[in-house]
Amino acid sequence: MTFRVSGVAVTPLSGLGTVRWYRTGGIPGAESVEADDPETELERFEEARGSAREELQRERERTAERVGREEAAVFDAHLQFLDDPQITDSIEEAIEEGDAAEVGVDRAFGDAIDQFEGMDGMMAERADDMRDIRDRLRRLLAGDERIDLSAVPEGTVILAERLTPSDTAQLDPARVAGFATVTGGRTSHAAIFARSLGIPAVVGVGEELLEIEEQTTVAIDAEKDAVIVDPDEGTRERVSATRDVEIRTEPVETTDGTEIEVAANVGTSAELQGATRQGADGIGLYRTEFLFLDREQPPDEDEQLEVYTDALDAFPDGRIVVRTLDIGGDKPIPYLDADEEENPFLGDRGIRRSLDADADLFESQLRALLRAATEGAGRLSVMFPLVTTVEELDGALDTVDQVATTLEKEGIPYAVPEIGVMIETPAAVTMAEELAERVDFFSIGTNDLAQYVMAASRESDAVADLHDPLHPAVLRSIRRSVEAAHDTDAWIGMCGEMAGDPDLTELLVGLGLDELSMSAVTIPTVKAEVTATESETARELADRVLSASTKAEVHEYLEGE
Amino acid sequence: MIQRTVTIVPEDGLHARPASRFVETANEYDSEVTVAPVDGDPVNAASMLAVTGLNAPSGEDVVITADGPDEEAALEALEAVLTTPE
Repeated sequence: MTFRVSGVAVTPLSGLGTVRWYRTGGIPGAESVEADDPETELERFEEARGSAREELQRERERTAERVGREEAAVFDAHLQFLDDPQITDSIEEAIEEGDAAEVGVDRAFGDAIDQFEGMDGMMAERADDMRDIRDRLRRLLAGDERIDLSAVPEGTVILAERLTPSDTAQLDPARVAGFATVTGGRTSHAAIFARSLGIPAVVGVGEELLEIEEQTTVAIDAEKDAVIVDPDEGTRERVSATRDVEIRTEPVETTDGTEIEVAANVGTSAELQGATRQGADGIGLYRTEFLFLDREQPPDEDEQLEVYTDALDAFPDGRIVVRTLDIGGDKPIPYLDADEEENPFLGDRGIRRSLDADADLFESQLRALLRAATEGAGRLSVMFPLVTTVEELDGALDTVDQVATTLEKEGIPYAVPEIGVMIETPAAVTMAEELAERVDFFSIGTNDLAQYVMAASRESDAVADLHDPLHPAVLRSIRRSVEAAHDTDAWIGMCGEMAGDPDLTELLVGLGLDELSMSAVTIPTVKAEVTATESETARELADRVLSASTKAEVHEYLEGE
Repeated sequence: MIQRTVTIVPEDGLHARPASRFVETANEYDSEVTVAPVDGDPVNAASMLAVTGLNAPSGEDVVITADGPDEEAALEALEAVLTTPE
């Protein structure tokens, strides 16, 4: 019987496959476990601990290989706690007193959870690690060896309560036709992973998902935001068709030979692989914030050097555009004293902090970047976020000069990369000519540009209609920026959501953008659009669209081509 | 058995990476090693849980005690961890 359960599709992809449940629950309450004699219980515990160690080592290796060394570090911490003498002593004591291994595990980790929850800030998050280790041991004590996510048969749809970062790191896009989870939202880790690896995924389905049985055929339907059980022929055809976009690994050009660079937006080294897989020419926006979040101290220069070099090595023939730290009051970082502000989007953020409150961080980031520029294989470009004045840009350029001079004196190899600014504010658009004279490139962040030009918050549903780059005011800002860049021979790209909308590719090519950067998953579709575009026709379309005085007219001209 | 009082230098105190390094170091030696606040009970220095449980901030004094065949070397190494800024 066909039925559907609804959730949130986190990628534009749909898929069809056979259900395999990835169960992590099903652990009986510790009280219900009857204790054997202490000797046997001790053996059971040691066996579970040994298997846990093996699993963790396997996951660490696989994560380091597929995702990155930083992401693998969490397994080191888990391994350390698994063998922690205070914990193992407490478990062994419980067992010697006649308790089942389960009871000992629950009690010892329960104490550890209490301890960490009583502490401040980042240490409190250790409590989650304690829960993970406890659950792993409890699962192994129950005799449950988990299915190997990396080795499921081709055409498998994974269903799970939730998928942790280490779970998603095991997924092989060649085998997994999609996944769906009970919990999670658009910004959950699993969602970000699905986008970068190009896996169809519906999350946040709720308890209804649990009704779907093992081995049934399901469709992960991005169009309907749903999981469809036993889909009919029509649905099958529809969901199977959406994955058939050819992946082009080589750069693409319009029918008349204008090359358009199609690049990926990434935030972690984990996403680099997805970008390569989808045929990205390079990285048009490498957000460095994730390197600085969820930790107790900033990454030092050497750690950053390694991360940036890895990114450059992932695209030996491409360009990697790294955006320097873009932090404000909305993304508080414990070790930075960024005050909560009434209106963080108009407050101390981006380049403003880099030139003042976070000057030390900015300097160490630039040192790492200049060093990476000579060490990594690909070409590095560096851009500054939220520039509104020429003074800010001059200040940032001065810092680059100073860092280069210091590295020179210290005899450390470096290279000065291409430098650019993000065009995100009306002020930057207005001053585009002066800014362009000082840099090698522009990159338009359309999400912020639309927000600031239209004075409409990205977070407010009430003004969602205003927060749209297809308003003539935003489109004209884009055109003005393109003209200013090209007048000084700077190149100009776009790295907002707009760049990844295949319905707008022709318009953007017509406006004169040299590069489009987007979520990896939309790259094949946009590359296909570029190859079907003819420059002169695109220019005419852009002229027509730019003559519109209302958003309605913009839509009319776009559709009336 | 030997004992030494050391002031914690790393900015994070006995947390995160410094704590992790401290525990790893304690595990490298055969001697029994404990660490204690100046006026508190000693805990097992080889336990990450116990060490982070001290909640010892930068600038605070702790007493490290080592007992065993390589106690001298163990104390030297642990003092080095606590006095190396991040």
